[in-house]
Amino acid sequence: MASLPHLHSLSFHSPSYLHPTKSKSPSYQFLTMPSSPSASPFTVSAKEKNPWLDPFDPGEDPGMEINDPFPEGKQQEDPRLPDNPTNPYGFLKFPQGFNVELADLASKLRGDVRRCCCLMSGGVYENLLYFPVIQLIKNRYPGVEIDIIASARGKQTYEINKNVRWANVYDIDDKFPVPAEYTDMIGVLKNNYYDLVLSTKVAGFAHAAFMFMSSARDKVSYVYPDVNISGLFLTEYFIPPNLNLSESGYHMYDQMIEWLGRPVKNIPKEPVPPLKVSISKKLRAHVAEKYTEAGAQKGKYVVIHGIQSDSVASMQSRGDTDSLLPIELWAEIVKEISDAKPVIVIPHEKEREELEETVGDAAAILFMTTPGKLAALIEDSAGVICTNTAAVQLALARDKPCVALFSSEEKAKLFVPDAEVKNCTVIASKTGKLIDIDVEAAKAAVKCLGKTPVFA
Amino acid sequence: MALPVLKPHALCSAFQPSNSKINHNQLPRALGHLGQCRWSSHSLNLEKRGRRSLARHLNALPDFPLMAIMVQHVEGTRDWIVHKSIWHLSDASIKNVYIFYFMFTVWGCCFFASMEDPYDRDDYRSQGGDGTAHWWYDKQEDIEQANRAELYREELIEEIEQKVGALREIEEAIGKEEQLVK
Repeated sequence: MASLPHLHSLSFHSPSYLHPTKSKSPSYQFLTMPSSPSASPFTVSAKEKNPWLDPFDPGEDPGMEINDPFPEGKQQEDPRLPDNPTNPYGFLKFPQGFNVELADLASKLRGDVRRCCCLMSGGVYENLLYFPVIQLIKNRYPGVEIDIIASARGKQTYEINKNVRWANVYDIDDKFPVPAEYTDMIGVLKNNYYDLVLSTKVAGFAHAAFMFMSSARDKVSYVYPDVNISGLFLTEYFIPPNLNLSESGYHMYDQMIEWLGRPVKNIPKEPVPPLKVSISKKLRAHVAEKYTEAGAQKGKYVVIHGIQSDSVASMQSRGDTDSLLPIELWAEIVKEISDAKPVIVIPHEKEREELEETVGDAAAILFMTTPGKLAALIEDSAGVICTNTAAVQLALARDKPCVALFSSEEKAKLFVPDAEVKNCTVIASKTGKLIDIDVEAAKAAVKCLGKTPVFA
Repeated sequence: MALPVLKPHALCSAFQPSNSKINHNQLPRALGHLGQCRWSSHSLNLEKRGRRSLARHLNALPDFPLMAIMVQHVEGTRDWIVHKSIWHLSDASIKNVYIFYFMFTVWGCCFFASMEDPYDRDDYRSQGGDGTAHWWYDKQEDIEQANRAELYREELIEEIEQKVGALREIEEAIGKEEQLVK
């Protein structure tokens, strides 16, 4: 047990689950850090211990030894009192927060997470890319209940995630929230007694204070590199490489993943699961009905996503705003599809008329706004042709052949890092603008897509 | 004088300082006096005339004294009092008026508040209000949560089926091998 010498000790001042990888000898940080302005903790690294949290914490004590109460490694599933069927009052259950607390000090020291809340910034794309993180939390902390607080658009994504319990709507990107909603949300967060609150918003003072008021045990967020105060409210913070997290593409949450999956004691580093999407039977049936109505057959159509529109439902990433193609270009590509029926997904009904004029009867037009429906549509399709929208990620998650049109090579590498493995043909514009994309290359790729064998 | 109400109220003897010396035997009578002058300023005059006529006339509607002064304003001179009338409400009348106002308000609140059914409003029903005393509903969230739980179960069953299928294939393969060996 505890083969590594530096993990023998467990400091009560700073629980080792917060800074597991660091094995610091007792340092004198508190003499220099908080008082002197020149040695700002934020200029060093995000992984340094936050001296603002406890200036009198000299780090782990190498001389201290505690018998490990948890030799098994990971936490166990929720301990729950057995139901008593002989009880005349039936199964007596208290609402959370009113029950006698079962968690003990040792589990707190180990950093067990029973209830976790993720405050999500961004729309569908950002939430979709967060799925691996959710799966990782689920794997790392068995029995954890994961709740989500996201914007109204982002919340819809959790229709296709099986690991989430509650999904609430609250827009944390809103700079001036309605006071009643703001206080209500703090109440909701407090009442759920979260062990861990994660936020993907780059937090300044206001958001850090909001998270602090949730009175969760661990508050973890991205912070601005130049706002020193926000780290004070958080137990762990990450300084993102760029202020817009989405610009990092598929690996936008890497810092958070690294922290969540960190090796602790005899628990090895948690591997990052791939992006997976699950579609319910109800949803499949509903979408099947829709595309059958539009004149498509299961496994014999190609989904086209990425029509230019000012609708909020276009499912773009915040990190790639140039990711929608005008209808004329799509019409050219659609003409090349001969083996399968093209099904064009529109984010708003107002696009339908123009599409019908340009494309005519060659393609079926489907109005779909939620990622759940889109996923179900992609699931039943022969392949996907799209720009850099959530459709790319959905196609990759469901292992569907995909032709992705990108504005540049760099963006393509960022958003689809393993294109070759995943049966995804990437076509990137050479000028850096999506509108200048090589339509001939796209046509060729589309023809190949039609010929791929379909196992529907 | 055309208006009888114009008669100065000070004539009502119950208010005069000389009456403050009345002893207890006289008190009921003095109170009676007060009561009379409260209701009619005529009664005083009648008594002054020596109680010759006991026939007291009672107005059907008591003439509440109210004071109103109409004034004509002329530049450089004093105001001319053109018209003046006085109407005093007694304490009891003021009380009655306020009680009436209060009761009317209470009745109005009860009556008009009950005109609308709070449970039949759209914002209540649309949030899942079902007429119970609870106000906070998470019906939508509950439905979504149940659906996700179901999705989780579906996936789990699928996974198990796949594993079982793989196991069966292996078993079959082993069985075939055994047969071949035999």
